[in-house]
Parts: sequence; C-alpha cells; structure tokens
Amino acid sequence: MTPLDHYPTIDLGPLMKGLVIGGLGIFHVFLAQFAIGGGMLLCYLQWRHMQGVCRLARRFTDDYFKLLVLVSFVLGAVTGVAMWFTSIQISPRTIGTMVHEFHWVWATEWTFFCLEVVAGYLFYRYGPRLPDRTRLQLLVLYAFASWMSLFWINGILSWQLTPGGWLENHNVWAGFFNPGFLPSLIFRTISAAAIAALAACTLVNAVPGFTREERQSLVAVCARPLVFMLAMPLVGAWYLGTMPADSRGWATGGSVPMTLFLTMAVGSSTLIGLYAVLAILRQRLYVNGATASLLLALAFVATAGGEFVREGVRKPFTIREYLYSNSIARDGVADLRRRGSTTDDPYPLRDQADYPNEQLVLGAKVFRAQCSVCHTLDGMNAIAELAATWSIDQRRLNIAQLQRTKPFMPPFAGTPAEVEAIVQLIGWRHAGRPADWALSEDPAVLAQIERWLEEAGTGPGNARLALGARRQ
Amino acid sequence: MNTLFPLGLPAATAFYLCLYLATLVVHLIFMHYVLAGSIYLAFGRLMGRARCQACSWQAILVDWLPFATGLAITAGVGPLLFVQILYGREFATANLLLSHRWMAILPVLIVCFYLLYLQKSAWIARRAWAWRSVVAAIACAGFLFIAWSWTENHLLMLDQAAWPGIYAAGSLRYESAAVLPRLAAWCFLAFPSLAIELAWQGRLLDRLDEPAAAGMQVLGLSPVRRLAVTALCGWAGTLLASWAYWPSIPDAARAAITGPLGGPWLAVVAVGLVIQIASWGGAFFSDRLARGQLIVMTAAWVATLLGVAVVRETIRLAAVDLAIGGQLHQQALGIGGLPVFLVFAVLNAVAIGWCIRTVRGQVTTGSEG
Repeated sequence: MTPLDHYPTIDLGPLMKGLVIGGLGIFHVFLAQFAIGGGMLLCYLQWRHMQGVCRLARRFTDDYFKLLVLVSFVLGAVTGVAMWFTSIQISPRTIGTMVHEFHWVWATEWTFFCLEVVAGYLFYRYGPRLPDRTRLQLLVLYAFASWMSLFWINGILSWQLTPGGWLENHNVWAGFFNPGFLPSLIFRTISAAAIAALAACTLVNAVPGFTREERQSLVAVCARPLVFMLAMPLVGAWYLGTMPADSRGWATGGSVPMTLFLTMAVGSSTLIGLYAVLAILRQRLYVNGATASLLLALAFVATAGGEFVREGVRKPFTIREYLYSNSIARDGVADLRRRGSTTDDPYPLRDQADYPNEQLVLGAKVFRAQCSVCHTLDGMNAIAELAATWSIDQRRLNIAQLQRTKPFMPPFAGTPAEVEAIVQLIGWRHAGRPADWALSEDPAVLAQIERWLEEAGTGPGNARLALGARRQ
Repeated sequence: MNTLFPLGLPAATAFYLCLYLATLVVHLIFMHYVLAGSIYLAFGRLMGRARCQACSWQAILVDWLPFATGLAITAGVGPLLFVQILYGREFATANLLLSHRWMAILPVLIVCFYLLYLQKSAWIARRAWAWRSVVAAIACAGFLFIAWSWTENHLLMLDQAAWPGIYAAGSLRYESAAVLPRLAAWCFLAFPSLAIELAWQGRLLDRLDEPAAAGMQVLGLSPVRRLAVTALCGWAGTLLASWAYWPSIPDAARAAITGPLGGPWLAVVAVGLVIQIASWGGAFFSDRLARGQLIVMTAAWVATLLGVAVVRETIRLAAVDLAIGGQLHQQALGIGGLPVFLVFAVLNAVAIGWCIRTVRGQVTTGSEG
C-alpha cells in the first residue's frame, strides 16, 4: 500500500468537506431505513389483511407503497449513488479501498437492489390487481431484498470502525463479520422499523378517505413495530461495547461534540419510544398528523445524531488502524516523514501566484494534502482560527506532535521543513497575507521540530492512550 | 495488445473487463430507453395533442419511462463498481477535476426522475398541453446534460496529460474536439435500441399486431414504420457522428480498434448493423414486424451493443497504463467473495424471473384479489 496517493482536491470554500458528506449521508440513511422498514411493515399489514383482522390494510398498503416508490425509489436510489460520488470527491482513497476490499460484497448487494426494484415496481404497478397471496409474496421479496441490502452495506460500514481480524489477515469475511456487525445490524433494523412506523402514522393522516375511527385503527396497527424500540438501549450499549475504547470514550464524555450528538440521538429516541409505548400502544391514543410528523422529525434528529457519532468516533481514521482521515496509510507515515508529503504531488496550486515565497506555497500544499479533508483555511473548522492563540513555537510543537495535541488528529506525516512551512502559512494568514514574507530556514528550529516529531513517533495518539491505560 | 480482446490481456484484467462490459451492456439497454425515450417524447410533444394521443409509442413511453429510469440507475451500479476496480485512479481523478459540475448530474437526475412521474400524473393531464411539452423538454434537457457530463468525464479519464493543467485552471470543464461527436454518436445509438425495445413492449402489450388503421397513423406512418424510421435515422446519425469522432481518436487507439485487439469486434458491430438496417428496411416496406424478424434483430442489436462496448474499451486500453492497474486487478481477484456473488446473482435472477412470470400470468388472466 502506498503511503499517500495524490488526487486533485476539491474546494468547497468555507464549507467543511466532512459536513457535506455527513449531511448527505444522514439524509440517505434516513431514506434507506424508511424503505427497509417500509417493506417489513407492508408485509405485516398485508398479512393482517389476509388474516381478516384489518380490513383497511390492503388499501393502505397500496397508498403507502406509492409514497415508498416516490421517495425511496427516486431520492433513495439517487442519493445512494450520490453517496458514492461524494465519497470520491471527499476521500477517493477511502472509498477506493472500500471498493477494492469489498467489491464482491458490493456486487452481491447490487443483485439485491435489482430484485428490490423489480419486485417493488411490479407491486406498485400491478399490486391492486393481484390476489392477496401474490401481493404478500411480492412484498416479502421486496422487504427481504431491501433488508439484505442493509445486511451487506452494514458489514462494510461497521468494518470501518471495527475492522476486527481483517487487520491481521485481510480476509474479507473477517472484516465483514467484524465485532460491530451484529449490534449495528440489529440497531439499524429496529431504527428502520421505527422510522417506517412513524411515516405510516403520518401518512394515515394525510391520505383522504379514511374516517377518524379508521385512522385510529390503522395507527394502532402501524405503530406496533415501535415496540422494538424497547430493545434499543440494550443493543445500543452492546454496540458501544464493541467500539475501541478511545472511540467509546469520545462518545461518552471525551469529546463534547460527540457526546452532545450521542445525547441528541439517545434523547430523541427515548422521547419517541416513551410516547410510542406509553401513549400509542398502551393507552391506544390517537396520533394526529402533526404529532406523527413531529415524531418523524425526532426520528430524523436521532438518525442524524447517531450517524454523526458513528462517523466522528472513527477519528483519526477513516478505516481504523489502517487509513487516516487524511487518506494517509498508517504504515506510510514514517516514509512520508523522510520523503515529504508533497514531493510527488503533480497538482499545482490554483492560487500559487498569491503566495510571496516558495515556503508558503509548500505550506499550502501540505495543508491541501494533510489537513483540507477536515479543515478549511478561513471557513468552518479553520486551521488559522484553531491556532490563533498559539505562539509560534507552540504551533511548531503542536503540529509536529499533532496526535498528542488532540488524540483524534492523525500524526503529522511530513518533514520538519513541511511543519515549518505550514506554521509560516498560518502566521502569514494571521498577518493579513502581506505581499512580503521572510523565509524561515533556521537550522536550529528545524532540528527542534525534528526532535519533536521523533518524540511523538509515527503512530496514532490512541496508541499512547492505550499504553497509558495498560501502565495504570 | 496484438490479440483479440480480451485474450491477450492479463487474466485478472480480462476477467474484470468482461464483467464490466457485461454489466455495462445491461445498463445501456435501459439507459438508451431513457435517453432516446425522453428525446422522442420531447420532440413528439411538439407535434401537438392530437398526434401525440394517436401515437401509442408515446403513451408507452410516458407510462414506462419512470420505471426504466429506476432500472437504468440500478443497472448502472454494476459497471460503476467494476470501473472503479479497473480504472479507479483515472475515474476518481476525472470526477474530482470536473468537481461541482460533475456532481450536478445528481440533482439534475432527481429532477428529471420526478418530472417523468409528473408526466404520467393526473395533475398534468388536467393542465394545458403546453405544460406537458415544457415538462418533457426539461426532462430531455436534463438527461442530455447527464449524457454530456458522462462523455466529458470519460474522455477526461483518458487524457492524463491534461489533468494538472485542468486542475490549475479550475475550469470544471473538459474542452475537447471529441466531446460533441462522441456525445452525438452515443445519443443517436440510443434510438435503434429504443425502437427494438418499443417493438417488444408493443408486442407484449398487444399494440403491435393491431392493423395500421388511420387512427394509429402519425405523419402518415404506421406504428411499425415509425419505429423503422426511428431506428434507421438513429443509425444514420450514429454513423455520421462516428465519422466526425474518428479524427479526434489518437493514432494508437485507432490502430487498436482496427488491429487484432478490436478489429474483430468492429466487424461484429458492422454485421449487427447490416442485419438491423436490413430488417428495419424490410419492416418499413412490408409495414409488418414478425416475431422471428424481431428476434433476429434483437440478437443483432445485443451483439452490436457488445461490439460497441468492446471498441469503446479498446480506445481506453490504448490510453491507460495496464502495468500499474494489472497488479491491482490481480490483488482484487485474490480477495474472497466471488462465489457468494455468483450464488446470489443466480438466486436473485431466478427470483426476478419468478416475479415477472407470476405477475404477468396473473395480470393477463385477470385474476383479482
């Protein structure tokens, strides 16, 4: 594996790249879970209808399926492709590694997509004209195919945080059936069932032609899958337990944003669960459109919080212990410390003429190669802002020992000259980007940076945390 | 590369290329329907309400284009996966260089997709005819934009020398003399595909065997003749655009196309083309399209698509360095999971077949639940 592959980088201005893919990811996951849960719910409704205990279920199933097609088949499918393309835009090496290692898993998932689309569309188009038994068969195939797509992608996504035995043997199945696979799969299945139930409650109120009593009876049936939310705390704790200790630590107090987002997810899920169990299922209260929409919005918040945490706690890696967030291979840091991270970069800077000297050009290239995936220069999570109060020596030390400065940062993967170049870049921007800027080439400074780099080592900060824990 | 494709290539590369091409051809079948169908519909709308309503092909397109788009997107996932195994660096770089402009295909695709559903809605049916023309025109323009973007992306992948310069300029566009003729060639090629697909749909939906009554004629042409004209014009346009595209192809690639690597496949394209043109010509003059004739034509069409896909790949193979990629392909082939894919591919294909057969049987026998 090469230490670093050079790709052209995209410029999103003041936007953090992570926010773009995170935002799209949350949206896509919510739609996908709606589709998966929707399939399961419709099977249940059709079965209830065939049992003769819910006479409205057949009609509602057809209404619900129209929504499923319009939302999931269009937005869900295209945002799925969009996730792929956006991943390439943000981190081509991460998605490239995932595709390379799991291409047969992805290809298998694709065969289920095909079944899902065909079974779903046949039901959408001909469902009202088909006998009950065939309707149920089509729905079961549709639901099974959509759940299997979750099964396959869940293995790949959970592998990113807990690669398990794959790190030792690179066996695809050791990676796929990783420690986080099962709790994550169960948790997502429950989430999917809950989202679909809440969407159904919203739709019951939106579809014309039902009386109040009919709506109430449909809500009572559609809300039943919400009872599975009772298992969420247990499965959630199981999932947390499979996380690496440092990742779990950030989610449970070590990192304020991670903890806040986890609290948001847990709080929203708790509110939905309590309302569902106590009000809807126990007291059989009627849920009107506004309440159902509010609960669905809370489910979106819960999904957003959960996905943010899942993505965030992987730091400083995109593939745990293998590939850092900035697409530098863990095993490649030592090599880049010798050769430099920009030596082989074939792409010039777009604003090269704006820099007064070559050292600042180098600094900008280092920023592009190592920092720009998570930071901007002046926008969100701006590097200039974060280092604003640091003295110049503090900047040198903190950047040289990045993984010690913040344990969710990767180690600096470049030469002492590259550290000094980025330090000078930050200083130049703080000074208002003057037309003249002196070179900083003091050998004593570079020697000190080299000592700091050696002292920090080439491993991630969490290695030091783990070592400290063992000593205690 | 002096042997017939894919025989002279490293085994792993040849294996992934075959998978890529097989999935690409399936994608093309649906993509052609969507691209040519949306153009057919947009121009058809200009003929006015009466003629449109008399044209059963337009009715079929309005009805089926949303599903075909869903199939085209789903079928596109396969080649998208294998192209990243085969040319991961080139594909990712081209995406990144075109950046926002490239990513714009996604919102455009969503808008077009919803417009196709809008086209068949009762809501638009209640509106003035002009609205339907506008909706069809926007959807068509959107799909053409997507086609243009893919063409640019593909050509940029092949032009590695241009990458640093394009990045430095930050233009988000790839300007080349090859873009327009190549785009035109692919767009025109979609029409013969559309004609065959509509012919099958018409047969399966029992619209093709109806007599060419006056009511079914549009611009003096029966349904069969309209399909024949669509296919023949498509082929004429494809040949003309290919002729314009040829000079922009690098010498090495041209030698590969006409040499042992691509030459026999070019011959397959030529034979398939002759069979299709002769069959459509016969259908036009006899005003009839027999089932056997359609089967022969379909076989020739699939062979042509496969040949075109291989010739397209020959151009790419002449432009990329297989020494680097070959090692990655070999590594990829060593990764487990292929048997699982094959098992589920067969099982899901059977399940899909069962779904279609069961629903078709029950819908045509008219059984109600």
